[in-house]
Amino acid sequence: MKKILVANRGEIALRIMRTIRKMGILSVAVYSEADRRAPHVRFADEAVCLGPAPSNQSYLNGDKIIEVCKELGVDGIHPGYGFLSENAAFAQKVEDAGITFIGPSPEAMRVMGSKLAAKDSVKKYNVPMVPGIDTAITDVELAKKIADEIGYPILIKASAGGGGKGMRVVDKAGEMKEQMERAISEATSSFGDGSVFIEKYVSMPRHIEVQIIADKYGNVIHGFERECSVQRRHQKVVEESPSSIITPALRKQIGEAAVMVAKSCNYTSMGTVEFLMDEQLNFYFLEMNTRLQVEHPVTEMITGLDLVDLQIRIARGEKLELKQEDLSINGHAIELRVYAEDPLANFMPSIGTLTRYEKPKGEGVRCDDGYEQGMQIPIYYDPMIAKLVVHAPTRIEAIQKMKQAIRDYKIEGVMTTLPFGMFVMEHDAFVAGMFDTHFVKDHYTPEKIKDKQKANAEIAALIALKYWQDQQKQIRPVEHKGTSWKRRTAS
Amino acid sequence: MPDNTKTYKVRANDFEFLFTQEDLDKADVIETAPGEFNVIRGSRSVGVKLISSDAFAKKQEVEVDGEKFLIGIKDPLDQVLDTMGFNNMAARVIKEIKAPMPGLVLDISVEEGQEVKEGDRILILEAMKMENSIVIHADAVIKKIRVTRGQPVEKNQVLVELG
Repeated sequence: MKKILVANRGEIALRIMRTIRKMGILSVAVYSEADRRAPHVRFADEAVCLGPAPSNQSYLNGDKIIEVCKELGVDGIHPGYGFLSENAAFAQKVEDAGITFIGPSPEAMRVMGSKLAAKDSVKKYNVPMVPGIDTAITDVELAKKIADEIGYPILIKASAGGGGKGMRVVDKAGEMKEQMERAISEATSSFGDGSVFIEKYVSMPRHIEVQIIADKYGNVIHGFERECSVQRRHQKVVEESPSSIITPALRKQIGEAAVMVAKSCNYTSMGTVEFLMDEQLNFYFLEMNTRLQVEHPVTEMITGLDLVDLQIRIARGEKLELKQEDLSINGHAIELRVYAEDPLANFMPSIGTLTRYEKPKGEGVRCDDGYEQGMQIPIYYDPMIAKLVVHAPTRIEAIQKMKQAIRDYKIEGVMTTLPFGMFVMEHDAFVAGMFDTHFVKDHYTPEKIKDKQKANAEIAALIALKYWQDQQKQIRPVEHKGTSWKRRTAS
Repeated sequence: MPDNTKTYKVRANDFEFLFTQEDLDKADVIETAPGEFNVIRGSRSVGVKLISSDAFAKKQEVEVDGEKFLIGIKDPLDQVLDTMGFNNMAARVIKEIKAPMPGLVLDISVEEGQEVKEGDRILILEAMKMENSIVIHADAVIKKIRVTRGQPVEKNQVLVELG
C-alpha cells in the first residue's frame, strides 16, 4: 500500500494519518466545506473536498469517496469509526472497485451488524448470552412460562423497538400478565408491531468489552478488556483498562469468549466484542463492533501496540506475528472523552469558538484531538473535542494523573465534560472500582459540580478583592482640593 | 482606615459573594510569586493565580485549581449607586426571538399572526444531532417568521419577530 485515504474527520482522522505517515505511506484527507481549516486536512499529503457540511452530502457520500480514490490512485481506505465504518455495502463497493478496505470483510460486518444474525452466529460457540428467547412472541401465557424458566427480574423488549419504547422490567411473576399486556400495546401503538422478546434483566450491569486483533489467516488474539461503564445518555464518557474487577482467570475466560465470537464470523482486522457483566461477574455477549473503537488508546497504552499500524498490516495481507502469550498488561490507562457539552445542563451540546485551547502535556499523557485555538465546533457532527488518555503504573496513580491533566487542560469558549471527568475521578465509587452503567443516574447531580465551583469561586473572589484593595493603597489619584474624589478610594 | 462594617460585593462567573473588611483581614493568603498565591480556606490549601487585573474597571481574571473565574468587584460606593437605580434598566419587552446557538431549523411550530403563550414552542433547532425546542418566555403575537424550515442559522440570528 502506497496511499491511504482516511474517510473520516476530527481526532480519529488525524490519529490514523499519524500512523500512516510513520509507516511511510501517503495520506489523503477528505473533508466537508465546514472543515477546510481542520487539522486533519492540513496534516494530510493530499486533501479533497467532498461537499457541503451535512454528513450525508460529504462524509457519508461513499460513491464520491471511491471516485476520489480512483482519481488519486489510492489503494486503501481507512474508515475510522462512525460515518461509513460499519456500512457493509460501502465496504463491498470499495472491494469491488479494487481498493483495500482497512477493516473486516463485508460479510463479517453484515453478520455482526444484525443483532439476531450475530446471536445466531455465536450460538454454536458456547459464548454466554443473556438468557432469553430468540423469537418474538405476543402470547401472554407463553411469556409467563418462559419468564419462570429464566427467573426474575426479566426484561420485555419490543422486537421493532428502540429508544426504550416498549421496554419493561418485571420483578415478579404476579406483575407479568399486566406488564406484558402494556408492553404489547405500547409496541403496537409505537411501531405497529406488538411482538416482544423476553430476556433476563441484568440489574447492575457493567459494560466490559474486549479488543480483538485478527489476521486473514485465522489467527485471532485479544488485547484484554476495557471497562466502559461510566456513560451518559447510553454513551461512554470514561473508559479504562484493565478493569478493576476482573481477575486474571476471568480475563482469560472473557478473552477466550471474545475470540470465539470473532472466529464465529471469520472476523479479520480490529474489532471489539462487548459484554454485559452482572454483580456475580457472569458475563453475557452483547454485540460486536466491527471497527476501530473510539477508546482504543487505553488498550494501546497498556499493551504498547499501535492498533492502526496492525490494522493496516493485516489489511495488506501480513500475517499476525504476535501471539496471545506475547501480550501483557503494563500499568493502567484511563480515557476521558472531552465533549463540547454542558454537564450542568443535562449534557446539552455547547457550541461556540474555542477562544482558548491548551492541551495538557507530560509523560503518560496522551491527548488525541482535532481542534486548535480559534476553531469553531461545527454543529453538523459529533461534539467530541478530544480524548484525554493517561497511563501510569497503577490505577490510583492513573486517576491522580488524570486529575492533573484535567486541571492543565484549558478550554474556553465552550462548556466541556472536563468538570464531569473531575467529578468521576474524585468520586468514591469510581475510586473504589464499585460502579456500573447506572453511575451517572446513581451518583451524579449538577449541584455536586456547582458546589465545588462555588467553593473555588469564593476563593477567586476573595483573592481578587484583596489584590485590588492592595493596589488601591498603592495607586492614589492626584489630589484635587475641594472634590470628593479622593475620599472614595481612601474609604 | 477601612471601615469594617462596609461590604464588598464580588461576582465570580455566575456566583456572587459579600465580603466584609473583616473577612478580608482574616483570610490566610500568602503571595508565593508575583501574581501567584496560596490560600488556606477552612483546612483546604489551594493555589491561586491572578491572570489579569484592571484596577479601574475593578475586573480581574483569577484561576483556582485550574478553573478560571472572571471577577467583578463592587465596592460600597458602587452598591449605593446600584440601589439608586443608575444601572437598572426598565424591564425590556421581548421584540424578537434569537437563536441561542447555531443550528438548523428543523421545524416551525407557529404561523404569522398566531397568538402564543409563555412556554409555547416556537420552533425546533437542531444542533449536533440534538433537537432543541425554542420556547417563548412571555405571551405574544408572532409578527413575522424570519427563517424557513431547513435553514441553517447563526447564533443570535433573529428567528421570529413579535408584535
